[in-house]
Amino acid sequence: MTETSDTADVPAVETSDAEANLTTTPAPVSERGNASSPAAPSAAEVAAFWDQIDAELAAIPAAPELEEAPLYSTEFSTTYKVRLTSIGPYRIAAYLSIPHGEGPFPALLAVPGYGSVVTPPQYEDRQRYVVMTLMYRGTRHADWPYAGKFPGVLTDGIADAGSWIYRGILADHLRGIEFLRSRPEVDASHVGLIGNDISLLIAARRPEITAVAVGSSFFHRLWEVAAETEAYPFEEINDYLRTYPADREGVARSLALVDPGAQAAAIRAKVLLTVGDDGATGDSAWWASLRDALGGASEEYHATHEGQTDRDAVDAWLANELGSEPKPRIWVPEEIGSWS
Amino acid sequence: MSKRGRAQDHQTSVERPPDFDEFWAAIQQELEETPLDPTLTPVPMRSTDEVEVFEIGYTSLDGVRIAGWYCRPRESYIAGPYPGLSIVPGYVSEPTLPKSWAKLGYAAVGVAPRGKLRSNAQFNPGYPGLLIHNIVDKNTYSYRGFYADAARAIDFLVARPEVISDRIGVHGSSQGGALTLTTAAMRPDNIVCGASGAPYLTGFMDAAKLTHSYPYEEMNEYLRLYPEREQAMRETVAYFDCINFAPQITAPMLIYAGLNDDVCPPETAYNLVAAMPGEVTLHVHERCGHDAGNFWEMAEVEAFLAKHLRPNTPTADLRAQTTVG
Repeated sequence: MTETSDTADVPAVETSDAEANLTTTPAPVSERGNASSPAAPSAAEVAAFWDQIDAELAAIPAAPELEEAPLYSTEFSTTYKVRLTSIGPYRIAAYLSIPHGEGPFPALLAVPGYGSVVTPPQYEDRQRYVVMTLMYRGTRHADWPYAGKFPGVLTDGIADAGSWIYRGILADHLRGIEFLRSRPEVDASHVGLIGNDISLLIAARRPEITAVAVGSSFFHRLWEVAAETEAYPFEEINDYLRTYPADREGVARSLALVDPGAQAAAIRAKVLLTVGDDGATGDSAWWASLRDALGGASEEYHATHEGQTDRDAVDAWLANELGSEPKPRIWVPEEIGSWS
Repeated sequence: MSKRGRAQDHQTSVERPPDFDEFWAAIQQELEETPLDPTLTPVPMRSTDEVEVFEIGYTSLDGVRIAGWYCRPRESYIAGPYPGLSIVPGYVSEPTLPKSWAKLGYAAVGVAPRGKLRSNAQFNPGYPGLLIHNIVDKNTYSYRGFYADAARAIDFLVARPEVISDRIGVHGSSQGGALTLTTAAMRPDNIVCGASGAPYLTGFMDAAKLTHSYPYEEMNEYLRLYPEREQAMRETVAYFDCINFAPQITAPMLIYAGLNDDVCPPETAYNLVAAMPGEVTLHVHERCGHDAGNFWEMAEVEAFLAKHLRPNTPTADLRAQTTVG
């Protein structure tokens, strides 16, 4: 057996899905017809797209159902399975964990990544936040009548923003944060989001959010990102454009409507952007236009690529912004002899 | 910052059941009596000038139909035959569509064991749930079929005329790291190397005590409700523990782990390596968690697999998609 301990000095934040590749995989640029973006929709078109989503949400009651989940409850928190109605109407799901004791508590929405599975909230988060994990349409427990295919969800109906599945998925996120903020146990002045840049879209539409920790890009500059990578899920865009080249304009328009850069000025929350290595997609310069347009304060965190270092740094920032305490995962090994 | 003992000093509590080999021999016998019935359906939308993509299906234990992706280089891009490669999935992630590996010159399968999307019509314990499904009964425990499904992907590759059947590798991280190990143990005549990141399903009971992160937290949750079932759980998972598969792994293996992994505690990786009699290389990464240092390790994995599997990679600048658990 050979053993090496190898920790180099180059940096990505811990993510459990393919979005992690954005900050770690410099891919060759190839000509696929989507390297240059068609004309972006106007600010008025972007606003109209989102205003219509909000109008539909306002018109349909959330009709929440909470069912206690003893398996996921602990001595310090109670977890519930939640059902909510989003636009469509469509019944979505969530896990909601509420700490025991006297509230109100700071709250956190863990914005889901791209994949079919959403787990109950992390153990450390249940100890300090009212914390929710959201199952948007197409994911397990929210897969009727729409059972999402992964890969496939990202481009399902993408040529027409009005019928693109992500129009509904983004509405599901807004419904989720509305529900979380409405809980009596929540300190509405300390509500945070953590996840990919869909968090920024939520914060733009709900400016009362306190803090947002963005670990990776998903929709920001996705048209360009797809042209530079073959990694899924972004490769779905390339697959789609190869198959349906006539839909190029429609796809570009849909992606532009959901680019958080177009709504950055509306964000009042404090934002932490995790940035990658200089020169790579996702580096500080790559985020600059969005960062400079933010309506509130922002900071950058330069990823080290040591998963736990990066996780603990972001955790500490968010805990500080939400008035809670950090819960680091790094431990220090010490020689204690034989142990079991 | 909290402290705990050094990972390399940890003593495993795993014991090998005396009938471990017989248990798995019976499962293998069942598999041999089950026709593979492979299907191969082209997926033009996901195919490129370099790589053909197929959706595949085959029959596994208990007659369960298993789905997967199969990606192979086009003859016009790289002439066959090709070394085979199975990319095995993590616990919550969807099976990889291994186009980037095919572009490197492999005939690559990304398997969706039972319960994953497209393989869940007959068996669907859900997530969370898979880890503790029938965990008090070794004969119906979820991973009995799940391990067989991953091994069966090798049978699929062996049956392909364009695949070099004695040059097949396996790779994955987390649950994929575990399936890398079990598949190498279950198909020793075909697997010539394996790269396993952050191996899960290794030292189950020890791991659950060392963490509150999912998926092992499922075991802690279950025992909070049913503490009287701990012994039955321990007896079951011993039949599925990678530490107990380790003596049967003969192919060279690369194992990598994060020394601050809260999901798959690094202690269990050391216990695993200690149980492996074959050629094994362990890379550990300080301050890394369940990423297992993959920012640095992917290049190591690609080089390790290429050394043993010898694909005809057309240019040196090609890279595989980063493997996540």
